[in-house]
Amino acid sequence: MVARVTRRVALGGGATLLIASCGGGDPAPSGGAQPGSGAGLLGSLLALERAVIAAYSASATVLRSDALRLSREIRVQEEDHVRRLELAIRDLGGEPPAGRSAAEYERQFPRLRREADALLFLEDLEERQLRGYLEALAELPELELRTLAAEIGADEGEQLAIVRVLAGGPASPHPFETGAL
Amino acid sequence: MSAASTRRALLGGAAAAVLVAPAYAQGDRTDGELLEELLALEGRLAGAYEAALRRDAIDAGLGELLLEQEREHIRGLDQALRSVGGRSPRAAVPPRELSSALRSRAAFARFALDLEAQARSAYTAAAAEISRPGLRRPLGSIMACEAAHEVALRTAAGLPLLAGGG
Repeated sequence: MVARVTRRVALGGGATLLIASCGGGDPAPSGGAQPGSGAGLLGSLLALERAVIAAYSASATVLRSDALRLSREIRVQEEDHVRRLELAIRDLGGEPPAGRSAAEYERQFPRLRREADALLFLEDLEERQLRGYLEALAELPELELRTLAAEIGADEGEQLAIVRVLAGGPASPHPFETGAL
Repeated sequence: MSAASTRRALLGGAAAAVLVAPAYAQGDRTDGELLEELLALEGRLAGAYEAALRRDAIDAGLGELLLEQEREHIRGLDQALRSVGGRSPRAAVPPRELSSALRSRAAFARFALDLEAQARSAYTAAAAEISRPGLRRPLGSIMACEAAHEVALRTAAGLPLLAGGG
């Protein structure tokens, strides 16, 4: 039987590759952060935020009208998340890992030929980001860090819903976001 | 996976794992108090959508979807509350603003957006504060759903999709 590769699987596969690469390729925060402080986990979330910003930038070539405008607004919000995560890592005594160049990120992205491709890719990335923040909620040791993860996670839930609407789907298809694991 | 089975997996599993350990969250409230507050908010949201559907103050498809999801949240929270030894709060009196909000779809959308924003904020605090790690993720999962409800309501009302956006 010949396996049929759907666009969603192909684009989602691109996101999986990107996430794996973010987790394994970017260095953990250096400096004096203590093991178990949460700095390493925040570093992983930061690496993914940077990759997502690069994905929004790359998607701008195929997005139009409302989708292009909103993707730019979302990218600005993601940049604010990066600043907040960097600050939190420094507060823990660590040094945030440097990001990669846009070209390095883009080499790992799937080919985005149409607006629909970009929106599927962004939806998958937003869902993975949200899942990362929800997992961090259970693992981060300090209330202040969990509050940061919850606040950014709520933003990611909003962004995920917006990308779904732009792709023509319902904003809220599930009562428990990322619940079906 | 159905909504009900997802709820069972998320909240049932989490609740079973934590059961009746010390109940103080890292703020001043106990875990039971946090869950009761969330249940009260969910009750207000469900009551508002029920009333809006009766008075045609919301698109029927959207209103039914949001109502069903709030009911799923209530069932899950109720289960979690029982697991920490709490009891469901009594039904809340509908807020006075609801009757004027039911006069038009635009007015109800603004009212519901306010309520959803309150819920999102309450879940954000509770997901970080609650002392039982096994309940943080499920609460975060509902928090993200309430954020998605805001987007659904803004879409229906023709408002900018991203809060603070143009």
